[in-house]
Amino acid sequence: MSSLGTALVFWPSAAIMLVTGLYVFRTASMARAGLLLLASLGVEGLIFLALASEFLGVLQLLMMSGEMVIMTFFMVMFMPDPGGLMGMDMTHEKRRSAALAVAVAVGLAVVAVVTDWPAQTLNGEAPDVRQIGFEVMGRSMFSFLFAGITILFAMVGGTLLAKHGGRLGLPAPGGDR
Amino acid sequence: MISLPVVLGVGAVMFGIGLYGVLGQTNAIMVMMGVELMLGASMLNLIGFMRYAWPDAASGAFFVLIVMTLMALEAAVGFALVISVFRNRRTAELDDLTDLKG
Repeated sequence: MSSLGTALVFWPSAAIMLVTGLYVFRTASMARAGLLLLASLGVEGLIFLALASEFLGVLQLLMMSGEMVIMTFFMVMFMPDPGGLMGMDMTHEKRRSAALAVAVAVGLAVVAVVTDWPAQTLNGEAPDVRQIGFEVMGRSMFSFLFAGITILFAMVGGTLLAKHGGRLGLPAPGGDR
Repeated sequence: MISLPVVLGVGAVMFGIGLYGVLGQTNAIMVMMGVELMLGASMLNLIGFMRYAWPDAASGAFFVLIVMTLMALEAAVGFALVISVFRNRRTAELDDLTDLKG
């Protein structure tokens, strides 16, 4: 993609990503918050595509669409006011959180601008799926295996934590067992 | 037009939005959403480095894969914890979980 094409995709996508990301925490409806997060992270996939990472962009779109839909279900299940119709306030320390978040964002942005980063231009094609595959199955194979085992542990641990009675199989105090 | 500092700057703003969610929300699932945004910002930074600083290296893509894995694991373990806490306390509000408060 040409640099103009990259800019034409990048700027609108970045604006949508940031605005929808911010509105996740501004909307009262939990279903809407989940869908806004899906939009934010989905549009981030478009930015990946614009930055010559086609494989990761498509992967991001697929993963986030699945994950955020599940997250929306959970939000509707566990929120005291999922529809946002009762006007419940589920925030605390709003001003201090916003001040700290702005300070961190500005600090990181300043570091990004003032640092003398190494710059190289893309000669020819960006690494394609084949090269990423060789990287994963070659030099980074141990880390890849470790990630796989961690996923397995998380699946087993998550299931044990979530089952009736917790990991010890005991009745929850005041619970519904 | 687009350069590494621009991508990192957008990532910084996204990270700040996620941090605002983590610090300002009282519900565990909303906090997890903030963490997802922060991890999303880190992925954007990695993609920026891959595109503008080391464009020939495929190892950057591997780091992004690891962060994506981390996002999925965070969601899986986080949801399991929320279910467990909800079973015991009938709430997922973090302000109500003060047992370990000194």
